[in-house]
Amino acid sequence: MATETHSASPVDASDGVPAAEAAHAASDHGVPAGTTEAAGHGEGGGGLPQFQFEYWGGQIVWLLILFAILYVLFARVFVPRFRAVADTRAQTIADALSEARRVQAEADAKAEAVKSDIDKARADARKLVADARAKASDEMAKTQAAQDAELSAQIDKAEVRIRGLRDQAMTNVGGIAAETASSIVAKLTGKPVTAAEAKAAEGVA
Amino acid sequence: MADPMHQFEIHKIVDLPDFAIPGVGVIDMAFTNSTLAMTLAAAGIAGFFALATSKGAVVPGRLQMVGEAAFNYIDNLTTSIIGHEGRKFFPFIFTLFLFILAMNLLGLFLVFTATSQLAVTATLAAMTILLVLIIGFVRNGANMYKLFVPAGVPWYMLILVTPIEFISFLLRPVTLALRLFGNMLGGHVALKVFAGFVVSLGMLAAGGGLGLLGIPGAMLSLGGVVALTALEFLVAFLQAFVFAVLACVYLNDVVNLGHHH
Repeated sequence: MATETHSASPVDASDGVPAAEAAHAASDHGVPAGTTEAAGHGEGGGGLPQFQFEYWGGQIVWLLILFAILYVLFARVFVPRFRAVADTRAQTIADALSEARRVQAEADAKAEAVKSDIDKARADARKLVADARAKASDEMAKTQAAQDAELSAQIDKAEVRIRGLRDQAMTNVGGIAAETASSIVAKLTGKPVTAAEAKAAEGVA
Repeated sequence: MADPMHQFEIHKIVDLPDFAIPGVGVIDMAFTNSTLAMTLAAAGIAGFFALATSKGAVVPGRLQMVGEAAFNYIDNLTTSIIGHEGRKFFPFIFTLFLFILAMNLLGLFLVFTATSQLAVTATLAAMTILLVLIIGFVRNGANMYKLFVPAGVPWYMLILVTPIEFISFLLRPVTLALRLFGNMLGGHVALKVFAGFVVSLGMLAAGGGLGLLGIPGAMLSLGGVVALTALEFLVAFLQAFVFAVLACVYLNDVVNLGHHH
């Protein structure tokens, strides 16, 4: 069958395969694959449809046209788009990284500032406490001194009064003793004692 | 049952006017199933990347994620092979890789594989080698001969090495074209043959009697088709990748001629 087909094709090469197709259709029933292949090979290079050279020119020209269109599309449109995306992506990542670094630095600076604020507040508080303590102890000392002074003044005054009272009491004792002695003498002797005598006795006693 | 070569035949879908290129001949510009497969692959790539790159979001969506994965994969490939100058050639390598990958993959879903046409793979290979030659002569001028004269090799060895290097350079476009063509052709033929076995052995079993032995054979063939399909997905990717890697290697040879980066 293949022999028929290919011997026919050079004749009607210009108007293509329809005749060959018909030959095929006629001989297609019940021929096992192996036989057909053997027949095709037996004929040599002409057995392959790829060697029907009347279709080469068209295929080559079409292929070149399509390849040129595709090449221009890729070189002018698709590849630049891919490169642009890759560049944008790299730029975006670099930007995000530097932004992250900046934010990190900012946060670090803020943390540092807060830490110094806290330290300052702590020192302030410590100073305040010390001040308050000093003031309180000052005041206490002052009050104590004032009270001490008041108390010692009172004590002094009381001592003066006591001394006065004692002196007075001591002067009274003399009188009382003379009086008592004179009254005792009067009782014993039965005669009153004069004041001069009493005085004399007192001096003796 | 279909002939395993039938899938590679080209039919006209829309007959467009021929045009003549002076000195080359008349070119039949008919829109065929091959050009349809190429156009679908190209439109698929263009549509996918138009969608994937439309937003250009810093945080990518799903489509953009896939597009960027492919982009970065080939971008790393070109810069790792060619060096910092790889960026200039990246659009070419990326287009080459995606176009071949799309045509290979489309062949696994549709009935026609554009990369199983030698005309297509040879054009891609010729394009790559032409670019290599142009870049090489523009950048190195007459120093291009250094490509065949490795530095640090004694003169008596050069007598042997230079012809080998020259022939291997001449064979580069051939191997580039045939590798992709052969892989796609072989894979799809194998798929078709195994699939054919499933049908023919099944027919045999339908006849009853000893033919029932065809059932395990058909099942085995079906398993083979499934396994081969998985393998073909790997090959589809791998061949596109290999083509891109080799294009990078060949470009590197002329871009960094005489000094290693």
